Formats: sequence, C-alpha cells, structure tokens
Amino acid sequence: MKTRFLFPYYFKFVGLALIIVIHFPIIHLLQLMHVQFDESDTSLFNYHHVFFVLTYVMIVIGLLMIAFSKEKIEDEHISQLRLDSLQWALYLNYAILVISLIFTNGIDTKDIMKLNLWVPLVFFIIRFRWVLYRLNRSLN
Amino acid sequence: MTNNIRVERAIKNITQADLAEQVGVSRQTINTIESNRYVPSTVLALKIARVFGKPVEEVFKLEETD
Repeated sequence: MKTRFLFPYYFKFVGLALIIVIHFPIIHLLQLMHVQFDESDTSLFNYHHVFFVLTYVMIVIGLLMIAFSKEKIEDEHISQLRLDSLQWALYLNYAILVISLIFTNGIDTKDIMKLNLWVPLVFFIIRFRWVLYRLNRSLN
Repeated sequence: MTNNIRVERAIKNITQADLAEQVGVSRQTINTIESNRYVPSTVLALKIARVFGKPVEEVFKLEETD
C-alpha cells in the first residue's frame, strides 16, 4: 500500500541521533571555553534567541523524524494503528491544555507553548511503539 | 466478519509468513486478521482470496452482527 507523507525508515535513527546530539551541554562547553556573548543585545536574532530557536527546532525536527518514519514493513494495519495513536495523542494534548488553562492563573503562555511542542509527539511515539510491541508479542 | 484463512492456509500448506509475503503485508497483520482483530481493506481481502484461488466470499464471511 502506498503511504504518503512518511519519511524513509532510516530517518528514525537520524532523528534519534539529533535528539541525543542536541542534549549535549553545548552552552556550558562554550562557557568553559570562555566564549563571551553580548548580553545587552536585544535585537531579534541575538545570541539567546538563536540558541533557543536552534535547540527547539532541532528537537521538533528530531521528534517528527522519529514519529513519522516508515516501519520496516509498512501496511494498512500499521497505518491504522498510527492514526489511532495520533488521535490519542491529540486527545491527551488538548486534555492537558484545557486542564492547565482551568487550574492555573495567569500561566506564562510560553510554558504552554513549550509543553505543546513535545507532548503530542512524545505521547504519539510512546503509544505507537507500545501498540507495535504488543502486536509483536501477540505473535509469539 | 469471520474468515477461514487458517483453514485455507492449511489446505495450501503455507505459513502466515508466506501468505504475508505474497500479499505484501507484515506477518502481524495476517495474524490479527486470522484472529478477527483486524478487518482488512477490500484490496487486501481480494489479494488474500487470489492467493487461495477462491472468491472473496469463500474466505471472508459476514456475521449476524455486521
């Protein structure tokens, strides 16, 4: 069956590598090497902004690669499980969003955004992997 | 929907893996179809029936509840 909008199988490992690499404490290494940054710079593309954007964009790209790469054998059952997991992930994401809106007062919108950045994808990956694991176990 | 893939496989003497390979799906998918946990698409049902050389309705049958 033709599946569109999916990355090749090996992208899963590329994404994983990206996630691992991005967690190296680069900022501390730079500080150890006494690289100085202009703290007073407040323009849009100042050092902190670029660092923030780079790390978060890399994490999102890595998660997307892991989440939406093809399986070794891709078939209609797998795509159904994928869609199921995606639905669950969206439900959970909006549940968390609504709960955080109700039970917090004047929450920093940036926090919600940061949560939204990874919760659906991470939950999707966990749920999808779990279903595939159960499927494989049922074979034996 | 019920199916008698298991019986047909026994007649043709092929394994789940063989059947999976011939219709281009994973072994897990054939397994879930056999145990009635997954309803295949029309295309897949037709492909499976073609492997056994029988019309679809001899392999897959509707139940009362369908």
